[in-house]
Amino acid sequence: MREESMISKGNSLNLLDEFELILESDPLIDEVGFIHPSQFVTLNKEATSSLKHEDANFWSRDHKLAISTDVLLPLYKAAKDAFMHAISQYKRHGNLSDASGYASNLESEAMKHSKALLLLSCDFGTAWNFRKLIVSKKQKIMLFLDELLLSALVLSNSPKSEKAWCHRRWVIKMIAGKCSTLQDIAGKESELVEKIAERSKMNYRAWNHRCWLVSYMTTEQVLHELKKSRNWAGLHVADNSCFHYRTRLMLRIMEEHCHKLEDGTSDENNEIYQIWQEELDWNEALIKRYVGREALWLHRRFLSLSWIRHFTTTLGDTSNYRACKSSINGDISIFHG
Amino acid sequence: MGAYWGLTTLDLLGKLDALDSNEVIQWIMKCQHESGGFAGNIGHDPHLLYTLSAVQVLALFDKLNVLDADKVANYISGLQNEDGSFSGDEWGEVDSRFSYLAICCLSILHRLDKMNVEKAVNYIASCKNVDGGFGCTPGGESHAGQIFCCVGALAITGSLHHVDKDLLGWWLCERQVKSGGLNGRPEKLPDVCYSWWVLSSLIMIDRVHWINKDKLVKFILNCQDTENGGISDRPEDAVDVFHTYFGVAGLSLLEYPGLKAIDPAHALPVDVVNRIFFQK
Repeated sequence: MREESMISKGNSLNLLDEFELILESDPLIDEVGFIHPSQFVTLNKEATSSLKHEDANFWSRDHKLAISTDVLLPLYKAAKDAFMHAISQYKRHGNLSDASGYASNLESEAMKHSKALLLLSCDFGTAWNFRKLIVSKKQKIMLFLDELLLSALVLSNSPKSEKAWCHRRWVIKMIAGKCSTLQDIAGKESELVEKIAERSKMNYRAWNHRCWLVSYMTTEQVLHELKKSRNWAGLHVADNSCFHYRTRLMLRIMEEHCHKLEDGTSDENNEIYQIWQEELDWNEALIKRYVGREALWLHRRFLSLSWIRHFTTTLGDTSNYRACKSSINGDISIFHG
Repeated sequence: MGAYWGLTTLDLLGKLDALDSNEVIQWIMKCQHESGGFAGNIGHDPHLLYTLSAVQVLALFDKLNVLDADKVANYISGLQNEDGSFSGDEWGEVDSRFSYLAICCLSILHRLDKMNVEKAVNYIASCKNVDGGFGCTPGGESHAGQIFCCVGALAITGSLHHVDKDLLGWWLCERQVKSGGLNGRPEKLPDVCYSWWVLSSLIMIDRVHWINKDKLVKFILNCQDTENGGISDRPEDAVDVFHTYFGVAGLSLLEYPGLKAIDPAHALPVDVVNRIFFQK
């Protein structure tokens, strides 16, 4: 018995070595999946470039990595044991001076194992935390960006992983003050959510992340997002999250508009009126095309409520808005029809 | 957390003695970090999630006295941010769920005075949406799980006046689908776990009569695997301890015979809550 378990432990370690070697040899892997070994054959037919790695356990090509479901359990156990051992060593000796090289060796071991582990168990908080600790010690932009790559890779297989989304927010907050490309990042993040939302429908965590990004966007970006997400929403009328995202964008536009009215830097409602009017018309068309969809009606509830609140109560206090208001008052009949 | 789900279920069924309490308590205390917070298992990092679960399990066993309550309370209150919100751990992610965890835990420990309750309540109120529900952060989409956390936290702090009960009640009762089960968001499939989150929220805002309780009882019972006993998310699916807890807790809220009553805000059996608050 003992000999048998020794052998299986040895195999698991080989398995982990092999897995980590594949990860190291191709840092550009952008998609990972767990598949039944019989599907490896199908994958070979579809692939375009030459095979990078294949045996009974792993398959890698075109920067895509497949792990056989047969080895998941022993591989996970080996990765977990290796990581937990590495961090306990690190905690014991990691604070020694770096000169010896011993500490940095312990650190890179633990980083390597944490990556393997997170690809197998996406919500392993202690492993995500360890990576945050190391990266925040070094304070190098490149290392922060690597964390965005790793969490995107984890999300390719586990699109609902709360910890992976949370890790991205942490990275973005850390580089927010240091990196001039923050708006680019917000734009790219938004695209990532859309890509993931396409494969993973009604994904609350993904859309919540997109809502969170709104506060990092410029006004132009917000308007652009509103325009861009409309097409997607029209094709996914059951996905309440996308309509909520539009709600978030519209409220942000409304907020800025109200600030301008207060400052006196703007005295007209035309732009905002037009945005609301277009959304109401579009929503009406969708409701007529797709009968009985809850998300569409809830969106209409939001549109009408905010319309009534903004255009019929906050307006009219100043003479400037009167012309605008009278035309809107006429239009409010659209809700009674 | 798994320990909390399993043990609370056993207690609701009147079978808490099926496990060796000393063994459980020893294990829990080994999960405590020097900061005062608890981890999900030995050697892992602490988080508010596991800290509440640890305190709840100790409360079930009437063993809160093994804790250094001030130390745990310091860990929790140390996670409150300037705007009143709570981070889940030292890494700073903010979520209205963490506000519930902090408030519920400090309430059980009789240490609510260690945090700024007014600011915490205002932060939760800022997560309210135009549909009456609550999201993770201000502007986040309403979700039944988040709603439970926000309503629960407001209930514990006596701040339910921040809730528009009719508006929220309407959104919540629309979660009931034809099969009698409840979903957590518009257009989603029903899931037993929402029997807890939606139902407890409806009870706390006094609108539970707006759903069909008999149909919900039938839905939950249909999700039980009658051979091995557990409950799944939907009929015919594989069972797990998470859905078993939410099914049993839901049935308890529906006053199903043979189950102890459960407190909708603290998520502990009523007799345990009474022991905490009325016997000192």
